[in-house]
Parts: sequence; structure tokens; C-alpha cells
Amino acid sequence: MNGKNEIIREFEYFIGPQHPGITGNFSIKLKAKGDVILEAEARPGYLHRGFEKLMEQRHWIKNVPMVCRICVPDPDPNEVLYAMGVEELAGLEVPERAQWIRVMVLEMSRIQAHLSYLGGISGALGLYTAPQWMTGDRDYLLDRFEELTGARVYHIYTTPGGVRRDLPEGFEDRLRETLDYIEKRLTDYYRLIFDNPVFQKRTIGVGTMDPDWAIENGVTGPNLRACGIKADVRIDDPYLVYDQIEFEVPTETGCDMFSRAMIRFQEIQQSINIVRQVLDRMPKGPFLNKPGNPLMWRVPAGDVYVRVESSKGEFGYYIVSDGGVKPYRVHVRGPSMTHGIHVIETLLVGQRVADVSPIMFSLDICPPDIDR
Amino acid sequence: MNAVGLNITWIIFMPILVIIIGLFYLGAARKITARIQNRYGPPIYQNIIDVIKLFSKKNPTNHGVMFSLGPVMAFSGMLISLLFIPIGNKALLSFNGDIIVLLYLLVIAPLGMALGVGEGGNPMGTIGIARALTLMLGYEVVLVISIISVILYTGSASFMEIIKMQSGGVGHWFIWPLFLSALAMDMALQGMLGEKPFDQPVAPHEVASGPMVEFGGKYLGLLQLYHAIGIVVETGIFVNLFLGGGTLFWWFVKSFAVFFVALLINAVMPRFRIGQAFAFFWTYPAAIGLIGLILVAILK
Repeated sequence: MNGKNEIIREFEYFIGPQHPGITGNFSIKLKAKGDVILEAEARPGYLHRGFEKLMEQRHWIKNVPMVCRICVPDPDPNEVLYAMGVEELAGLEVPERAQWIRVMVLEMSRIQAHLSYLGGISGALGLYTAPQWMTGDRDYLLDRFEELTGARVYHIYTTPGGVRRDLPEGFEDRLRETLDYIEKRLTDYYRLIFDNPVFQKRTIGVGTMDPDWAIENGVTGPNLRACGIKADVRIDDPYLVYDQIEFEVPTETGCDMFSRAMIRFQEIQQSINIVRQVLDRMPKGPFLNKPGNPLMWRVPAGDVYVRVESSKGEFGYYIVSDGGVKPYRVHVRGPSMTHGIHVIETLLVGQRVADVSPIMFSLDICPPDIDR
Repeated sequence: MNAVGLNITWIIFMPILVIIIGLFYLGAARKITARIQNRYGPPIYQNIIDVIKLFSKKNPTNHGVMFSLGPVMAFSGMLISLLFIPIGNKALLSFNGDIIVLLYLLVIAPLGMALGVGEGGNPMGTIGIARALTLMLGYEVVLVISIISVILYTGSASFMEIIKMQSGGVGHWFIWPLFLSALAMDMALQGMLGEKPFDQPVAPHEVASGPMVEFGGKYLGLLQLYHAIGIVVETGIFVNLFLGGGTLFWWFVKSFAVFFVALLINAVMPRFRIGQAFAFFWTYPAAIGLIGLILVAILK
């Protein structure tokens, strides 16, 4: 009799791939007893497009339009990484102006990714005003991207040797205006989200992870900084011109959903400061060092690992060349691979059904980066 | 036309009027929320179009007799409750004790939904309806405490009597002498209306619209009508008890004002977890209501 009751009380519950509470094309299968989750199984694979294999079939330069598709909400780290890796292998000089522009693009991308993150986690908790406001404000930044690169989401702007084109006329002033506007709105966001007693009640102390456990399991980026560990590739292993820029790396000690959201909120302000510094100090000069005929361009044999700090954590590319016109192997190390499979499966156990979606959003999982 | 004829006309036209006005409330809610969120929002008559569209659809998949009866039971339960609510100083069924009857009738609708959703067999619907019933247990206590303080204050359990006692202008409304009870009931109303922070039963990110997940086509249309009447009935209780009823026009203005306050709270609040919502109802609103009740008992 008792056993029979157990069977009735436990049930399987699917979140995704068609569910409003999922971050993109991804699925989580839950086994729950009443309202408490006993087991969670992450099921990626809905977006597998075989990018890593495809890259071996194309010329070096032809991979540029493809890599940005590996992470939809924050595409620019992929472009910069691929370009940095290929440049290092080929020994290609990058003009200084291009490096500053790359920093600017990376930080603009981080701001818009964090805005959609804050919208996402607020939406998962039912605060639908926040995503609407943030999607609207993020659009002003996408306007600037469109002006600069010609595209709103996949910019295909950074190529080996520099960036595709120079800043348009009057772009710096308009970008400053946009940044001022977003900075002004941050107060509203703070009052709407972080000052909200219900938001605090839902997020503080929920979805916590142990700092040591987090390091062992490959948690990186803002999720690790939310555990009080000051780890940032921009500081630890500076790339581009980050060593010449002054900025802070915010940390929180809560290790919970609230800390993870708070880190992102503070990083928006830091990124705004970085973009302003870049606009002030960017040198004049050439912006692209063309590598020659792209169809005949051969990259010397060798291998390289490059990494940057993306909005979701450490993003790395391992590129191997055999001296041919195409890459021999490109491996992508995305932060969502760890956050989206092992970490979420562990964090969800023992939580309530209502907290599944917020925890998932708080880890900032990007499913195309898992599948790539 | 004699009095009986008028009554019959009112019986037929009142629910239609309430449904149309309730659908306009829902449309206005969408528009107001959209303006808060920096959007344009759909036209105010969008929900009427939606309902017409839903009712012109073919009969969707059926999971059994109770599945079909559930929405009908919910809709008719709400419709019967409506008959006990005096709208514009006209009550169809008015006697001493009709408030207590109404409290019983209000439970029929969620129970009907529970039976229908249960037969649907979707776990999200089941979780949703379990949450709805848990939430009901939370706010009903607060509601009953507030209503008891009104009954204690007036010595009458009839809506019409209570409205008559409040006639004579804004100063006579019971919201002033019974402020704490009104406050507690407004909090309970937020849960009854299913507005945030108490929209756990239909939370899209958690249970994908909950009870409605298996219902489509005509069933969904019926549930929209149920929701539209529900708003008018639930805000109507507050208007009749604390805001002094009023003529047809003013009654609906007051009822919309009560709904408007709920909407503003709805726009800037995330939702509680169901346990937190239940705990909230049994602490703050219940305490406020009890203090109000004790004050009435002492001062009376």
C-alpha cells in the first residue's frame, strides 16, 4: 500500500524544449516528489549544428561568419577569440586601434548580454516589467552595433588582422549618449529588481553552491565571482589592451541567485566605464592588417589556446593548424558546457519546481554553446 | 412593464453586461500593463475578439466527461455567485445571510476547474490546480475574517442592508471605520484575482499556464468568460462591503478602481513561491484582519 502511494506521488516533469521557462532550445527532465525535485537531467542537443567539424572544411577566413553563431546572446567573444587564435598562429600583427575597438565591441556585447540576463531572471520570477524595459533599452545598444557593423545580433565584425571597418562619423558621440541613457536607467532597474522584497525573498539563499565545489567543477566568470572568488580572465591573463584600462571586478559572497544577478548588475556599470575609457583613449591609425588572398592564405603549423572573459564565463578556443588553407581542428570551450549540464543537474536537486527556471536563468546558460 | 418582468429582463441581460464589461476590464488590464512596460499593447477590445475566435473553433480533443464539465462548472459557479452580488443597487437574490452563501458558492468554480484539470492528466495542470487550491485556503481565511468584522459592525449579513447603511456620500463608506479589515481584504483580493505576487497557479515560467495547459478552443473561451465574470464578482464584493455600492455607472467605476490598484501592484512584483504566498496570507493580512476584528468587537 505504501509503495503504491510512493509511485503516485513521484512524477516526471519536462521543462522544455517547448516551455516558457527555458533558456532557448534546451530541455530539463525532472523527477519530482510533490514539489521537491529528486533528480534533474539536462538534455541539450536541439541546436547541434556541428560547428567544430564544419570549421575544418572551410578556409581560415570563411570561418569568421560562423563562429559568432556559437553563442547567440553574446556573439562577439567568439569572433574575437577566433581572430586572436589565428593571428597568434600566423604571427599576424594587429593594429593598435583595432585592439581598442575590439575591447569596445566586447564590452558593448557584455552590456547587452547582461541586460538580457537581468530581464531573463526577472521574467522567470514573474516580474515581467523588467524584461520589457530591458529589451527596449538593449535595442538602443543594438542600434549602435548596427551603425558600427551593419548587423544587430551577429556582427561578423572582427576578422583575423583587425576589424572590418572603422568607426562611422559621429559614432563616438552617439555611443556616449546611449551609455548615458543606460547608466541613468540603472537606478530604475535597481529599484525595480533588487530593492523588491519579493525578489529578495525568492532569490536570497536559493540555488547556492559551495565555492570549493564551484572551482572543482569548472564554474567560471560571474557565477564564480558570486561565490566571492575574484577570478577574471581580463585581470588574470590580460588580452588585447585590458592591462591599460582601469576597472574593478565586483564580487559577492552570497553564492546564491541574488548574488549572481547582482554581479551582472554591477558589471554593467563597469563595462560602461570601460567603453568610456576606450572612447577617450583610442589612438588613430589603421584598423586592419589584411592577411592577403584569403583563398590561398596558409597558416603555419602549430596549436594555440586563447581565452577571454565573456558575459557568461571563460570562453576559450583551441586551434590546431597543419599548415594548410583550412584549420586542422578548432575546439570551443564554452562556459555553458559546465554550467548547463553538471552544475545545473546538481543545483536543482532538492529545490522546488518553482525555482527550476530562475536557477537556470541565474546561471546564464546559453544552449547553442553546449551543442555548438 | 411590471416588477417581475423587469427582474426577468435583468436576469437575462445582467450576466451578458457583466461578461462584456469584464472582458473590457481584461483588455484594459493588458493595455495598462503594456503602458507601464513601455509598450503599446493590444486594443482594449482584444479579449472580446479572442473569445469570439475561441468559440468559433472546432471542438478540441476531449479527455473525458469531467474534462468537458470542469470549465462549465467553473463558469456556472461564477455565474451563480454573480446573482448574489448587488450591482447598481439591484440584487436578484437578496436575503439576510447571502454573504455567507456567496462564500460557499465562490469555492464551486475552483473545484470545477480541479475536477476538469484532474481528468486532463497533465502534470503541469495538476501542479497548477493544486497551487490554486492551496492559495484559496490561504486567502479564504483572510476574506472570512474581514467579512465577519463587517457583519459584526453592521449586525447584518445581507449585501443590500450593508449598502443601505453606507448611503449618504463618501464619508459613510465602511472603508473608513473598518480600514484594517478593508486593507486585509484588499490583500486577499490580490490572491483571488490571481494577480502577482499571487499568480502561482498560472505561472508561465514554472507550470506553463498551469490549469489552462490542456484546455483549448471553446473550453479556453469559456475559461476566459469565467475569468471575466470572476474579476467583476471579486472586486464587487469589496465595492459592496467597503465602498458603498452605487448606481450602475458608479458601481463599475469603483469596481474598476479596485482592479486598477491590483494591476499596479501586479506590474512591479515578482511572484512568491507557493509556500511563501500561503505563509504571507496567514501572517500579515490575517493579523491585520484579526486586529480589525478585535477593534470592531471592542468598540462596537
